[in-house]
Amino acid sequence: MKFPYLKEAVKSLFSKPSTENFPKEVKEAPEGYRGKIAFYPEKCVNCGMCIRVCAPGAITRTIEKVEEGDKITFQFYMGQCTFCQLCQDFCARKAIELTKEYIMIAEDEEDLMVRGTFIKKAPPKPPVPPAKPATPAANNVEAKKEEAKSE
Amino acid sequence: MFEKLIEKGLEKSAWLYHLNTGSCNGCDIELVSVITPRYDAERFGFKIAGSPRHADIIVVSGPITSQSRDRLIRTLAQVPDPKVVVSLGSCPRSCNVFNGSYCVEGPLDKYTPIDVSIAGCPPKPEAIMAGLVRAVEILKEKRRAMK
Repeated sequence: MKFPYLKEAVKSLFSKPSTENFPKEVKEAPEGYRGKIAFYPEKCVNCGMCIRVCAPGAITRTIEKVEEGDKITFQFYMGQCTFCQLCQDFCARKAIELTKEYIMIAEDEEDLMVRGTFIKKAPPKPPVPPAKPATPAANNVEAKKEEAKSE
Repeated sequence: MFEKLIEKGLEKSAWLYHLNTGSCNGCDIELVSVITPRYDAERFGFKIAGSPRHADIIVVSGPITSQSRDRLIRTLAQVPDPKVVVSLGSCPRSCNVFNGSYCVEGPLDKYTPIDVSIAGCPPKPEAIMAGLVRAVEILKEKRRAMK
C-alpha cells in the first residue's frame, strides 16, 4: 500500500513552524525599503523642491522671521505620505532620507509628524550711501527706494 | 461566577470587520496576508468577521468616496459598543493623493473618532499586527470604562 505525501508529512512533523514569531523577533526591512522619513535640517538649503514633487502634499513649510534670519520649519506628515521616495531623489543636499523603520502606530495625529527646524541667515546688508542733501519730499522718496532695495 | 471567564475570553478574541471605502486594494491585500500562516494573527485571537454586528474592531481602508460614505455611516452604526476604529494606511487619515478629488468626501475623522492609525502606504503586515494589538488594549480600557 502506498501512502501519498508520507515523506512530506513526516518531514513537517519535525520541522519548525513557518509562522514568524513577530512581537518577539522583529525582522528588519529588506534593502531599499521605503519607510519613515528622516529629515536632516542642518543639510537643508530651503530650495523647496521636495514640496514641488510631493504628490499628496504631505510636506509643509513654515517660515518665521527672527533676528538672525529666517527660521524655517519643514513638516512631514506620515499619515499623508505615499512613500514614493521622490523627495529623497530630488533633494540636492541629501537632507531627506527614507529609513527602514516601518512600524508607525499612532493614536494622535502629532505622533505621525516628522519635523525639522533650521535658521537660514539673511545675506549681509550692503553699505548704505550717505543721503544727498535735497528737498525733504525727494529725500523721503529716495529713502523709501533704498528700503525696498535692502529688503 | 462565569463573568470573569467570559470577560477574559472576550479580551482574547477580538473580531475584525474590514471595511473598504474606496481603497486601491493595496491595504486590503496586506490585511489579508496578516491572517495567512506566515504571520498568523489568529495567535492573538483576531478573526475576520463577516458581519459588522459581530465585530469589536473595525478596520477602515481607503479615502471615503461619495458612493461609500453612506455605507460607512450605516455600517459603523451597526457595530455594538464598545468598538475600536482602526485606520489602515494613509488614505483614511488624510485622503493621501486623492485629497481634493470631487468624489472623495474627506478623511475618516470627519465621521468618527479614529482610535488607532497605522501609517504606511501600504503598511507591512508586521505593522498592521502591532496596530491591532494596540487596538485590543484600547478595547480593554473601553470595556472597563463602560462598567
